[in-house]
Amino acid sequence: MISGLAFALVALAGALALFGLVTTLLGRPAGRPHALAVSVVEAVLVAQALLAAARVFAGARPPETETFLIYLMVSVCLLPLGLQFARAEETRWGGAVIAVAAVAEGIVVLRLLTLWAGAGG
Amino acid sequence: MADGARPTGSGMGRVLVAVYALFALAASARAGVQLATRFYEAPLAYLLSAFAGVVYILATAGLAGRGRMARRLAWTAVLIELIGVLVVGTASTALPADFPRATVWSGYGVGYGWVPLVLPIFGLLWLRRTGRRQDG
Repeated sequence: MISGLAFALVALAGALALFGLVTTLLGRPAGRPHALAVSVVEAVLVAQALLAAARVFAGARPPETETFLIYLMVSVCLLPLGLQFARAEETRWGGAVIAVAAVAEGIVVLRLLTLWAGAGG
Repeated sequence: MADGARPTGSGMGRVLVAVYALFALAASARAGVQLATRFYEAPLAYLLSAFAGVVYILATAGLAGRGRMARRLAWTAVLIELIGVLVVGTASTALPADFPRATVWSGYGVGYGWVPLVLPIFGLLWLRRTGRRQDG
């Protein structure tokens, strides 16, 4: 884990949540702008997951390695699932669904940071 | 009951289903890891986590589904959830020694930003609101 990258991801997730909420307030259903915003954050998440997984395979051992790897998997699955669920909604509430997924994503990334502490690397 | 009732899983309800799905995942994954790796440290707390996970899964299914059976399932699961968070919240505050390890519902869900306490209240209000006939 690189803490700078993780904190950037928490900020990105926060921005995504805000974007989703604003589109809900404006009455716009989830569409292409949402898909684009999610893909940007998702690309960084995948990069982080690959980096972290590479370090674990290189021998870094977070105290609870299994839990860490489960959170790592959840971190890359959450937003695409949220986006799909949001786009199935034809009303304004799709954006709020993305906001829920984005907030959860921020919490998952913070949890990854905590779990990584003590991994040495 | 289902006649004229609005589906619970779309519109604003989809946001509720999303939050429920997250808690279903979080509570059952957490319980799974705890039961698999350190069940004997705190069997009561970990079994309660697992129970909470099942309740969230059933509530998610009930709210996301359509029809009379789904609505009945949602009502039952959300009511059990509310009772669960109140009982476990009170018990963990009054008898902290019996709850050495936290569950989702410990301290009324304080470890999860009080969401476990607020969620069933929203769930019940939403079920009541969507359950009314649309022409009524």
